[in-house]
Amino acid sequence: MRILRTLLSLGLVFGLALASSAQAAQFNWQQFKGTQLRVLLNKHPWQAGIEPHLKDFEALTGIKLIAEVYPEDQFRAKTLVELTSGASSIDVFMTMPAQEGLKYMRAGWYQPVDEFLKDSSLTAPDYNWNDFLDKTRDAMVAEGKLIGPPIQVENVALMYRKDVFQKYNVKVPTTLDELEAAAKALNGKPMTDDGQPGFGIVNRGKRAAATSMFAGMLHAMGGTWLTPNREPAINSEEAIKAIDMWGRLLRLYGPPGSENNHWYEASSIFSQGKAAMYTDANSLWPVIEDPQKSKVVGKVGYALFPRGPKGQSGSTVAVWGLGMPKTSKNQKAAWLFMQWATNKDQVFKVQSEKGVLGCRDSVWKDPKGKAKVPGDLAESLAQGSKVGTPLWNPPVVAVAEVRDAVGAAIVTSIQGGDVRAAANKAAADMKRIMAETEKK
Amino acid sequence: MKRSRSGESPWTYILLAVILVPFLFPLFWMFLSSLKSQVENTAFPPVWIFKPTLNNYREVFIRNPFFTFTWNSLVVAAGSTGLALVLGLPGAYAIARFKRTGIALAILTARMAPGIGYLIPWFILFTKMRMIDTYLALILTHLIVALPLVLWVMIGFFEDVPGELIEAARIDGCSNFAAFLRVALPLVKPGIVATAILSFIFSWNNFLFSLIIAGFKTRTLPIAVYNFLSYEEINWGGLTAAATVITLPVLILSLFIQKHIVRGLTFGALKG
Amino acid sequence: MGNEIRAQKIPAWVTPPRRGSAWSLFVEDHPVLVFTLPAVVVVFILMVFPVFYTVYMSLHSWFASSLTGPEFIGLQNFKRAFTQDERFRNAIWLTLYFTVLATALQLVLGVSLALLLNRPFRGKGFFRSIFLLPMVATPVAIALVWMMMYNPTLGVMNYLVGLVGLGPYTWVSDVHLVIPALAVVDTWEWTPLITLITLAGLATLPLEPYESALIDGATPAQMFWRITLPLLRPTIMVALLFRSIDCLKTFDIIYVMTAGGPGFASETLNVYTFQVGLFYFHIGYACSLLVILFALVLGVSLILIKVRRGSW
Repeated sequence: MRILRTLLSLGLVFGLALASSAQAAQFNWQQFKGTQLRVLLNKHPWQAGIEPHLKDFEALTGIKLIAEVYPEDQFRAKTLVELTSGASSIDVFMTMPAQEGLKYMRAGWYQPVDEFLKDSSLTAPDYNWNDFLDKTRDAMVAEGKLIGPPIQVENVALMYRKDVFQKYNVKVPTTLDELEAAAKALNGKPMTDDGQPGFGIVNRGKRAAATSMFAGMLHAMGGTWLTPNREPAINSEEAIKAIDMWGRLLRLYGPPGSENNHWYEASSIFSQGKAAMYTDANSLWPVIEDPQKSKVVGKVGYALFPRGPKGQSGSTVAVWGLGMPKTSKNQKAAWLFMQWATNKDQVFKVQSEKGVLGCRDSVWKDPKGKAKVPGDLAESLAQGSKVGTPLWNPPVVAVAEVRDAVGAAIVTSIQGGDVRAAANKAAADMKRIMAETEKK
Repeated sequence: MKRSRSGESPWTYILLAVILVPFLFPLFWMFLSSLKSQVENTAFPPVWIFKPTLNNYREVFIRNPFFTFTWNSLVVAAGSTGLALVLGLPGAYAIARFKRTGIALAILTARMAPGIGYLIPWFILFTKMRMIDTYLALILTHLIVALPLVLWVMIGFFEDVPGELIEAARIDGCSNFAAFLRVALPLVKPGIVATAILSFIFSWNNFLFSLIIAGFKTRTLPIAVYNFLSYEEINWGGLTAAATVITLPVLILSLFIQKHIVRGLTFGALKG
Repeated sequence: MGNEIRAQKIPAWVTPPRRGSAWSLFVEDHPVLVFTLPAVVVVFILMVFPVFYTVYMSLHSWFASSLTGPEFIGLQNFKRAFTQDERFRNAIWLTLYFTVLATALQLVLGVSLALLLNRPFRGKGFFRSIFLLPMVATPVAIALVWMMMYNPTLGVMNYLVGLVGLGPYTWVSDVHLVIPALAVVDTWEWTPLITLITLAGLATLPLEPYESALIDGATPAQMFWRITLPLLRPTIMVALLFRSIDCLKTFDIIYVMTAGGPGFASETLNVYTFQVGLFYFHIGYACSLLVILFALVLGVSLILIKVRRGSW
C-alpha cells in the first residue's frame, strides 16, 4: 500500500513536472538560487497544510527556507517587536489585513507587491491572479496597495448538530429569531453519547476575541461599526440589539463562564458534544471533524449565519494572506515564495489534502479540489463569500484596541449588565482611540 | 524554640499528610492527565481509574523536536549559570568581605524592574549587534536574573567564612585573588552548588525573555509547551504530557538543594 | 560581625610583599573594584539601555511606525494615565488587590503551617523536598494545568468543591472570583516558601523569653502574641518584601490563564502594559506605564524595608 502510494505520488510529481516544463521554459524559478528566506508562520491549518511541501519549493528554486511557526499570540507579539525595532529579518509572514493591514501599511511595514505582480520576469505566466475569488483579492488591499496573495478564506457561519435538531424536531435556523428559538428549545436536552444534557448554543465570549464573530450578528441586525462619515455606530439601536442578543444567548442558553471562552474553549465544548449550535469561523471544521478529538464527527451541519429581521446577511468574509516587510533584503525571492505558495498546484494540494478553505475559484470548481470539504460547507462558503461583508473587524487603524473596547460591552451583556450604557461607553472609547491613532 | 521535644505523635504525620495533599494535588493531576486519552480528559465527573496510555508522550516527542528544545534549554541554562558564577562569585566575595552592601542593593533593583520593559530595547540592541537567535543573546538576557541571584545568595555564604582564615592566608603571602580562590571558594562549595542549581532552574523556567529573544534555532522548552495551545482545540493530554516533561528535571534538581532553597529564593536576605 | 571589623583593620604588616606584575599589584590595591566590576558592568549594560530607552520613550508619544518617529510630549502620558485612563485606574486597583490578597493569604497560611510543623518529626528533609515542588515547577506549565482544573464545565475543581456541596463556580470566568482564583494559584505556588522561611526563623529563636514567661504563668496564646510574633517580625518582613515585589509584577500566570479577562476584571498593571505596548502599538504610553509600575514596586519595597528596620 505504502509503495503504491509512493509510486503514485512519484508519478504525479513527474507528470506535473512534465506539464509545467513548457511554462518553466519561459519562467525562471531559479533566478534567486542560493538565497535564504525567513518565513514567519502562524500556527494554522494552512501552515500545517503547506509545511510538508516546502521542500518542493527549495528543490524548484534553489532558495533555502527557514520557516518558523508560533501560536497566534506569540506570533503577533514577535512580529510586532521585530517590525517596531526596524531591524527585522523576516522576509515573508502570514497576515490578516482586516486586523493589521491599515496599521502596518501606515507604519510603512509592508512592502506592497503590485509591481512584482505586474513584472513578467518575476511572475509566472500561469499564476492567474484573477482566479482568486473577488472578495479575497479586495481583502488583501490596504490604502490602495496590494499586500500580497490571500491564502485562506472563512466566514462566520452556523455549525449545528444535525442529529440533535432531527431528534427534537427543531428547524435549522435561518434567521436570528429562529436561532434564539432553537437555542431555547434545545438547551438542557440530552445530546452527548451517554445522554448528558448539553447547551443550546456555544460562542466566543472573551473580550476582543468575541468581536470578530459578533460581527456576523451586528451586520445581520442591520448595524455596522462606523457611520459613513467615520463616527462610531456601535451604540446605534441595531448594534445595541446585536450586543444584547449575543450576550443573552450565552447567558440563558450557553455554558457558564462564556466570558473567558476563546475559540479554543468554545470549539472544545462543541466537539465534545455538549452544545447544539456554534457560530464561529467555518474554517474550524477540521477540528470538529477530527475523529481523534471530536465526538461529533459526521453529525455536524454547516450553514450560513442566520439572516436578520429584514433579511440582512450576517456572513463575514475574513482572509488570511501573505505579506512582506519593507525591511526584507530578499524581496524578489520573497515574492517568488508568495507566488509559489499560492499558485494553483499548492492551493489544490493544501485544499485537497487538508481541507483548507482556499481562495482559488478553479480549485473550488474542481470536484477533486473540494472532495475533502463537507458538501454543505463548500456550498455555504461559496455563497457566504459572495454576499458576506469584509467588515469582520472595525475598519480602523487601531483594530486591537477598538476590539477590546467593543468586547468589553459584549462581556457586560453576557453578564446581564446595562447594555445601552456599555455600548455608549464603547462608542466613546472608539471615538477617542480613533482620534488618537488616525490623526493626519 | 526547642520546647516541644516531647516526641512524635501520630497526629504529626496525619497533620503533615493533610497539609501536603493540596500542595501535591495539581502536580499529581498534571501527571494523571498526561496518561489519559483526550476523551477521558474531557469526561465529567473526572475519571480516576483508567487504563494509562503513553500516547501523549509519544505525540510530544514525535510531533515536536522536543529534544532540540531540551538541548536549547540546557545550553542556555548552563551557559547563563556558568557565566553568572564566573562574574558573580568574586563580586559576592568582595561585597561580603569589604562590606559594600550598597553595590548589592543597587544590583537588587534589577530584580524590581518589570521584565517586559526589557523586551523591545533588548531586541533592538541584539539585532543591531546581529545576535538575535544566538545562544549568547539568550544567555545574556537570562543573566539579568541569574547574576543578582548569585550575588545575593553567595554574599550570605561568604559572610559565614571565618575572617581569621583569610587573614591567616594573607599573612602566609597569599594575594587577594589567591585568598579568594584557594581559601574562600572551597569553603562555600555547598553554597555554590545550591546557587548554581537555583540559577539553572530560573533560567529553565523563563518564558518572557525566551519568547522574544529566542529565534527558531534557539527556542526553549517553555515556548514549546505554550505551543500546545494550538489551533486545534485544547489538547489536555498533550499539554500535561509536555508540562510533565518540562517540569520533571527541575523537580528532581530541586531535591538536591532543599536545604539551601530558602536562602536562595529570598535572594540570600535571610539565612535559612 | 566580628570578622568584618577585623577584616577592615588589617595591619599594614599583614599585606604580603609587593611583587608581581602591575596588574596583580592593581588587584591588591583595589580588590573591591576588580572583584565587583565585571558583575556590575554586565548588569549595568543589560539594564542601562532598557532603562534609558523606557524613561526616554515615556516622555514621548509613539504609535509604533517606521514613517513617523516618537514625538516629545513631556509628562502628558503620566497626566493621561492618572486623570483620564479608566483602565489604568482599574489596573492599579487590581494590582494592589491581587498583591494584598495573595500575600496576605500566603502569609497567614504559611506562618500557621510553620507553627503547626515546628515540632520534631522524622523525614523533615523529605517533607521540605515535597513542599518546595510548587515553587520550582515551570510557571507556564503550572498556569496551563490550573487553567485546565478551573475549567467551568469539565474541570476537576468544580468536582472537588461539589463533593462538599459547593459550586459549581466559573472560577476565572467570574468577574468577582477571578482575582481570588488567581491569588489561589499564586498562594499554592508560594505558601511553601513562607512556611520554610518561618520554620528557619523559628529555629533561631532564643529560649530565655519563653522560660521567663512560663515562670510568670503566661498562656500559650500570650506567648505567641507577645514573644513569638515580635521575634519573628524580621523574618516575616523579608518574606513579605519578596512576595510583594513578585506579586506586583505577576505576569506569566495571569497572562496565560485569563489575559486580563473576563472583560478587564483581572487586568493588572503588567498585563495592561503588555497589551498597550505589544498589541495596541502605543510604545510611548506603555513605557510610561512601565515607569509607574517600577515606581510602585520600588515604593512598596522601600516601605517594607523601613518597616523591617523598625524605624516606622
